[in-house]
Amino acid sequence: MLSISGLTKRHGPRTVLSDVTFQARPGRVTGFLGPNGAGKSSTLRILLGLDRPTAGTALIDGRPYRKLPDPIRAVGSMLDGSGAHRSRTARNHLAWVARAGGVPKRRIDEVLDQVGLAGAGRTRVGKFSLGMGQRLGLAAALLGEPAALVLDEPVNGLDPEGIRWIRGLLRGHADAGGTVLLSSHLMSEVAEITDDLVIIAGGRIVATGPLTEVIAGHATLEEAFFALTGADR
Amino acid sequence: MTRLRADRRRPMTLLRAVVAELRKTATLPASAAATAVAVLGPLGITVLNAFSVRNAIRSGQPGLVAYTSPAEAAFSAAPLGTIGAIILGVVVISSEFTANSPDAGGGRQITATLAATPRRLVVLAAKAVAVVLNVLAAAAITLPACLFVADFVIGDLATPDDLGPTAARAAGAALYWTLTALMALAITVLTRSGVIPLIVLIVNSSLVSVSMVLTHVTTLAYYLPDAAGMRLFADDPLGEFEHALAPLTGGLVMAAWALGFLAVSSAVFTRRDA
Ligand SMILES: Nc1ncnc2c1ncn2[C@@H]1O[C@H](COP(=O)(O)OP(=O)(O)OP(=O)(O)O)[C@@H](O)[C@H]1O
Ligand SMILES: [Mg+2]
Repeated sequence: MLSISGLTKRHGPRTVLSDVTFQARPGRVTGFLGPNGAGKSSTLRILLGLDRPTAGTALIDGRPYRKLPDPIRAVGSMLDGSGAHRSRTARNHLAWVARAGGVPKRRIDEVLDQVGLAGAGRTRVGKFSLGMGQRLGLAAALLGEPAALVLDEPVNGLDPEGIRWIRGLLRGHADAGGTVLLSSHLMSEVAEITDDLVIIAGGRIVATGPLTEVIAGHATLEEAFFALTGADR
Repeated sequence: MTRLRADRRRPMTLLRAVVAELRKTATLPASAAATAVAVLGPLGITVLNAFSVRNAIRSGQPGLVAYTSPAEAAFSAAPLGTIGAIILGVVVISSEFTANSPDAGGGRQITATLAATPRRLVVLAAKAVAVVLNVLAAAAITLPACLFVADFVIGDLATPDDLGPTAARAAGAALYWTLTALMALAITVLTRSGVIPLIVLIVNSSLVSVSMVLTHVTTLAYYLPDAAGMRLFADDPLGEFEHALAPLTGGLVMAAWALGFLAVSSAVFTRRDA
């Protein structure tokens, strides 16, 4: 379970997160929605130990990310694309990640195959398209066979086949008892994939709960989103 | 219980991180370039030095060169190795922070690094170890090769060198390169971008050394990081640097600087948002 509680983040005088609290539960796909600049990436960065909160906690099964003994075997994550250096090949990128994370080498080929990059393992990441970079980021997230997946806009740049594939992947992951937390701007995708929703606007949570409850009283998720975030002006 | 288990894993985590960092340097073109500079640079300059010594002696004018020893021809090429070490120390850090093209998501490698190894001190320690091992490996190939080449070119005409002092100077040069690489690494942790550290450090160790300029103002300048360790490998055939620190003192002062830089960068790196 991923538990975010009372999270506040300030950059100098700017408060970008105020008292953000929500959970992402095992067996469920949790969608994290909000307008540009609402604080989704900021929240996920704190959850992954990249940034420090000004106040509050973000825990993975009761522990902060930095205290996990084998972090990439507990949480697979992707923020801003692949995280691979442009002059390294996809395979060399995954190779060092596997080393650092204590993941057996055989997983490299398995995940390259799984994300559809089997033929691009020896290509420099600088030559990748947006969608290929995204797939490599997903490969790195899946490398350690983690119980939880934390993905910032994973669908961004994927082709129709890729979108269908990730839909199946995330559903399967949650159905097998895993936890999935993903941010996205694609309302129709989110409505199709997620079980639970967390909506953030201006650094504050404006709605959380099962998809059906959050949508209740609105025609579609999109309508609910605009009503809740006040972005429709 | 769980805390104890987590703590016992720490050496494992560090070992894994070191192996991962070695892999990263081995597969990064920029670090290959750095190694090439550290190996080929000194060799090339040694060859040039050695030929000018040989020509001067052959033409019966040994006074044209400042020295006639092969060791001097080799060690006066050592600053090129320093430049290689600087490049390596810088790129090991700056590569973490170069953004991918916006077309590919604009991400930076530091995200992946800290996802796999969230303990920042472990990351920094692993990088330092990887840099030290790479620099020492380059030195172990380059310095004996330079000495051999210089000896080969100058041949019987040379003023012979004693083995002991020559070996000590080689060890000193390796240490000087290593400490310089660590300082470059530490400084780049602070700047994140490699551009400024590369320009400043390379200009400082090739064109004009700020410390050496300052030694004309005060001999205290010999305690500055790059000047302190100069006697680790540099002899003073012309007697220009009589106030320079002795090899041992200088080496210790330089090591203290490197540790100081690393301490500051660790403090910053552990506290700063990635
Ligand atoms: N390092 C920083 N310094 C100052 N402000 C920052 C910093 N990082 C993020 N912010 C601000 O925090 C706010 C939230 O940004 P964040 O990236 O979390 O939004 P987001 O919900 O992920 O948006 P998007 O949908 O565009 O990805 C923005 O106003 C952003 O400008
Ligand atoms: Mg974002």
